[in-house]
Amino acid sequence: MELILQLLQQLSIFLVIAYLFSKSPAFKPLTEKQLSAKNKLLLYFIFSGFSVLGAHFELPIEGAIANTGVIGAVLAGLVAGPLLGGVVGATAALHLFLLNGVAAQAYILATSVAGLLGGLANIYLLLNNRSEQVFSPVVAFVATLAAEALQMLILLLMKSPFSEAWALVRVIAIPMVFANAVGSALFMSMMRDRKTMFDKVGAIFSAKAFNIADRSLGILSKGFNETTAKQLAEIIYDETGVGAVSISDGKKILAYIGVGADHHLTGLKITSPQTKAAIRDNKVIFADGVNEIFRCALSGNCPLGAALIVPLRVDNEVVGTIKLYEPRNKLFLNLNKALGEGLAKLLGEQLLRDRYKTQKSLLVNSELKLIQAQVNPHFLFNALNTIIAIVRKDADQARSLLLHLSKFFRKNLKRSGDLSSLKEELEHVNSYLVIEKARFAEQLQVVEEIDAEVLQIRIPTFTLQPIVENAVKHGISNLLKGGQIKISAHRIGRQAKVVVEDNAGLFCDKIQSDGLGMNIVDKRIKNLYGNQFGVATECVRDQATRVSLLLPYDEREL
Amino acid sequence: MIRGMIVDDELNAREELATLLADISDIEIVASCGNAIEAIKLINKKQPQILFLDIQMPVIDGFELLSMIDEESMPHVVFVTAFDQYALKAFEEKTLDYLLKPIDPERLQKTMAKIEATLQKGSNSQHDSLQLSRIPCARGHKIKLIDPQEVELIHSDLTGVHVFTAEDKYFTELTLKVLEQQLGLLRCHKQYLVNLQHVVEITTLENGLAEIKTRSGQQLPVSRRYLRSLKDAFHL
Repeated sequence: MELILQLLQQLSIFLVIAYLFSKSPAFKPLTEKQLSAKNKLLLYFIFSGFSVLGAHFELPIEGAIANTGVIGAVLAGLVAGPLLGGVVGATAALHLFLLNGVAAQAYILATSVAGLLGGLANIYLLLNNRSEQVFSPVVAFVATLAAEALQMLILLLMKSPFSEAWALVRVIAIPMVFANAVGSALFMSMMRDRKTMFDKVGAIFSAKAFNIADRSLGILSKGFNETTAKQLAEIIYDETGVGAVSISDGKKILAYIGVGADHHLTGLKITSPQTKAAIRDNKVIFADGVNEIFRCALSGNCPLGAALIVPLRVDNEVVGTIKLYEPRNKLFLNLNKALGEGLAKLLGEQLLRDRYKTQKSLLVNSELKLIQAQVNPHFLFNALNTIIAIVRKDADQARSLLLHLSKFFRKNLKRSGDLSSLKEELEHVNSYLVIEKARFAEQLQVVEEIDAEVLQIRIPTFTLQPIVENAVKHGISNLLKGGQIKISAHRIGRQAKVVVEDNAGLFCDKIQSDGLGMNIVDKRIKNLYGNQFGVATECVRDQATRVSLLLPYDEREL
Repeated sequence: MIRGMIVDDELNAREELATLLADISDIEIVASCGNAIEAIKLINKKQPQILFLDIQMPVIDGFELLSMIDEESMPHVVFVTAFDQYALKAFEEKTLDYLLKPIDPERLQKTMAKIEATLQKGSNSQHDSLQLSRIPCARGHKIKLIDPQEVELIHSDLTGVHVFTAEDKYFTELTLKVLEQQLGLLRCHKQYLVNLQHVVEITTLENGLAEIKTRSGQQLPVSRRYLRSLKDAFHL
């Protein structure tokens, strides 16, 4: 009993040392899955150290020695495989030999074997896909127990006479087997806790990064200004817990939250040389507060001491900065440094995407407005002139034409939505054509072949009428007689094809050099539905001009 | 009675204007038509004093039409248009007047007063017309526009004026005189114009006559009267 207590006492010293070690940065590599050669060497020294120390504290008992030297070898084998286990065991054995000479031959052999045993346990666990149990205290307990039992067996076999050996083993067996197994298990459990903690820190970091990304995503799509900058700064401040967060547009502060907010005011010009350097050189500047101090240029009493200044880049052009600060009395966490840099990258990407999106929609919008503004005044005044003439002969027809004219203009002025059904577009075309037919009389024939099933397909608003108007203006109206416009719409599998064709074939050059805005229509359709859809034009000089719209049949109003 | 003519591609527009004119003025519409080709023919034939001319018409617009009319037959012109007042500014001084569609009868009355005054003065109409850059030729229901550079020669006979390119032959309503003045073609015979760019051979014959061969091998006569100017053109 006394021996057990002595052994446990000795173990406690080990555990304290092990605990202190586990708090030091040198411990971190131990928790990694793939051990590098450098880390293996480190492990070798650590575990050999344990074994050597254990042997040093040996307790002489009736001509024998009771010690804890086996622990280091078993654990090394468990954590890093039989090779390291064996080498640590051999080192400990060598040490025992130097200490006690050949007399300790049984211990020497047993310690080496212990390392191998730990290694075998490691291989067994890995082969059975139970690698997570490498750090299990139970496994360590069992492995050490087995190693100690083996040691006792070796003692019995190698020490003679047998009676003496038996007497010794009877005294030391139970205390040694028990104390070493418990010590081993405790040590392993400490290692496991540390490892779990490191994993947790990693997980917290990832979670923080995701949180910030999740919360900040979309804010910048409302523009990069004081309002959105303030929202972003709040999120970063919240999630990172740094002393202060500042966002600038590269010239002045857009938002500032945290320590020092009394003099880092929104709208102030950027003054600190470090920030200026970050913007000028387009690089991250980190003043850790220890080697390099952040110097506030605004106030001499500024409590800030450390700063991370990350330029916000769009297409490698600096459009602003994100700054994280800590006050002088607080350490700037590496974690927050990594977060800050990643965040600036993410936001830059988002700004770039939004810029691209805005440009794209601006382009389409302005072009659309252009088309709408192009409602031909010729058409209006000619229509009115025609109707005035018709009033004399046929009041009913004149009335109907006026109704069509107002319908046509109402539709032209209506700008709701980007999409219409084919039916609506055809109504617009019809209003237009009724009037043109009144103007051109027998010179203009219209043939329609529309499948009812495609009437509900979705088509960009204002697409069809300009195409028909082109056919009239540049095609039919240049024929002296016999003009015909054919409008057809059919379903082809999962696509719908809408075709406008005239029998003049007179504007091949214009339509092919895109003097008529067919590119815009094509762009709009492709933007909406993808590149497999769009506009195709064909022209046979003096015979026909054909404009085909290819649209998805599945996109219907139901 | 003033002799008037209306050119507009729209039947209703022509009828409306004719009706309005009948109401307010002592004018006889001697011709009315819907395109420039017909218009040239009718102007040459009916010799109207006043022409109501739509600007936007198929293939050949009103401005261009003016460049195709023989000076001797040139009527006074009133442009009628739906929306071309800006383009009209350039022509304003040279035209008698212009009307906007739909036509306001009161405005038309003022125009007629102006016309009557001008006709009483007996002043000639003068238009700074455009340079003719293409020759309108009829071909079935279509108007074919021939690039003057491609023309080798132009020949007039009793059936009309024929334009010859290297490959083809077209009929035009334009007079030889207008074509000569507007296109810079050389008159080599009373009935022939030739494009000097396409001349490859000139053979002098007896009696001061000559014969021209064009690049594509077409032949045309040179009359005594025009031989001198032909030689001058080639510095012979």
